[in-house]
Amino acid sequence: MNRTNHYDFLGYVAFAIIILLGVPFLLGFDGFELNTFARYLALAMVAMALALSWGTAGLLNLGQAATFGIGSYVMAMHLKLAASTGNPGGMPDFMGWTNVEALPWFWQPFQSLSVTLLAGLLLPAAVAGLMAIFMFRGRITGVFVAIITLAFMVALQLVFIEEQRFTGGQNGLTGLAPLELPGWTVDTYSLPFYYLVAGCLIVALLVGMLVVRSKVGLVLRAIREDAARLRYLGYDVAAYETFVFCLSAAIAGWAGMLYTLVLEFASPTYMSVSFSLAIVIWCAVGGRESLVWASVGAILVNLAEGRLSDMFVEGWLLILGLLFIFFVIFLPRGLYGLAVAAMDRLRRSPRTEPPVPVKEG
Amino acid sequence: MDAILNQAFAGLSMASILLIVALGLAIIYGSMGVINLAHGEFVMLGAYAAWAMQSFLGFSILVSLPFIFVAIAVVGWVVERGVVHRLYRRPLDTILATWGIGIVLQQLVRMFIGPESLFVATPTILEGNTVIGAVVMSNYRLFVIAFAVAVLAATWGLMTRTEFGTRLRAVIQNREISECYGIRAEKVYATTFAYGAGLAGVAGALLTPLVSTTPSMGTYLVVDAFLVVIIGGVGSLIGTAVAAGAVGEATALFSMLMNDTLGRIAVLLAIILLIRFRPNGLFPQTIRR
Repeated sequence: MNRTNHYDFLGYVAFAIIILLGVPFLLGFDGFELNTFARYLALAMVAMALALSWGTAGLLNLGQAATFGIGSYVMAMHLKLAASTGNPGGMPDFMGWTNVEALPWFWQPFQSLSVTLLAGLLLPAAVAGLMAIFMFRGRITGVFVAIITLAFMVALQLVFIEEQRFTGGQNGLTGLAPLELPGWTVDTYSLPFYYLVAGCLIVALLVGMLVVRSKVGLVLRAIREDAARLRYLGYDVAAYETFVFCLSAAIAGWAGMLYTLVLEFASPTYMSVSFSLAIVIWCAVGGRESLVWASVGAILVNLAEGRLSDMFVEGWLLILGLLFIFFVIFLPRGLYGLAVAAMDRLRRSPRTEPPVPVKEG
Repeated sequence: MDAILNQAFAGLSMASILLIVALGLAIIYGSMGVINLAHGEFVMLGAYAAWAMQSFLGFSILVSLPFIFVAIAVVGWVVERGVVHRLYRRPLDTILATWGIGIVLQQLVRMFIGPESLFVATPTILEGNTVIGAVVMSNYRLFVIAFAVAVLAATWGLMTRTEFGTRLRAVIQNREISECYGIRAEKVYATTFAYGAGLAGVAGALLTPLVSTTPSMGTYLVVDAFLVVIIGGVGSLIGTAVAAGAVGEATALFSMLMNDTLGRIAVLLAIILLIRFRPNGLFPQTIRR
């Protein structure tokens, strides 16, 4: 157990070095190429957020894309308002087309940068927290968590599409201004922007790993194995589950904010069933038990998608589906499981001394 | 008043389709605890099979129904033997695997047949309407309602009056002990899965004259069918029938009173609330485990 953590930490450092130095070097420190890779890193972050609740506590959140989407809309609302200062009343253009008279109250706070950054973390966490209290107080587990979160996400996406006057409907929020941080207008095709995203991922991974390695992480893993037993021991299982759900949602919202920055728009497809499924697939491929490997899974699958979908646009989803079935059946622990097995073999093979038989008598 | 009666009939027609879809889902879920997210794709395959039979062989839907049932049952059997049976000890993973199967099936159809919607004709015998008072009922929809009732009866008979049904119920109650008595649970599971898939295929075929046939047609339907299964309660056929009626009528009512999207959201919220407060359904069966 400690040895596993030890390797996890080494893996984390290696991963950080690769995305901080290796990838920029391979891509020649080119801002345009790095922008594509920054997108993968943002997706890696949401995969890692899912691994936090699914791998650690065994709570499969099929609606992870909902919290990701909320984060991305929060950021997009801020940037949309920044782009609309010239309009009458500072209102976004699409509201003018749909005859909204004044800027709605829930849009107003997002004029402030600090409120936006906070809301991008806290709003998804609050939504997930409410869902979690609702579910876990009723001791909902396993399959039912998956179905409830999935149904919730579909409903949320429908609301965002339906309320076109306030959310831009099917088009989402487009025509955004660049983000103005104090002393820095963020250019998304620049090296510093890549480091911003990479830095966020590394920090998020660190936070996640600290939680997993702490006593809370131990309790969460115990919940995954046998929740009833923990309840007998006097632990408040629902509280732990709610905590990990909130943390996972906050990280997903954070990833969503970065994703909006990279793509320069927010769209209801960020909350779609297929996107949420994709997150689950990345996690399954990388290995849900390890946060770093879940991120690696997201990056690898998206790299493959970037390369392969040019060749066969139609076939990509098919390949993804087959890949997913293969991993679920044969490699439920993902690439992480493969790596662990390989490590074990390496460690054992050099000196395979047979265990000294204990003589009796 | 007439509008309400007509809408009630539309709801009943909707309910009859839902019933056939949900029966398959309920049997698979009730007997194996597998939430089959590929069920919507079985429905879609049934619809495409009906289209293929019509355009290549010139069969009307009524003639091709038995063939479709068998064909989709075979698909279900292959899926069970190939994927699902490896995952009975990991219920969460069956959700994921069946989801993956759904994507693969949908994408195969999209690649080889095309994403555009296809047309299947109503059987000529069942064209026309029956009018009672001010209520106009299409003969085809009346047929579907009668057919759904027949399927329900047949399933009930299968479960309670045949040797296979006895074995299935034995396996549901206690797999290990049934195996000790010489019942091959694996075989029972595969057959049950195939039967459920076959029912989904039949439902898809029956749907073709009513909705447009597209690769993603099953996705919407399976959500409603799942709601029906949860409301009905696991393993309760009568519960499933009542729930299908209730959901069909409620959907018809909602889409009359509000718009479709709000109706949809209401259905989803109903699912969430039901799972939270009545996870065993409104008609729970008391099984000693």
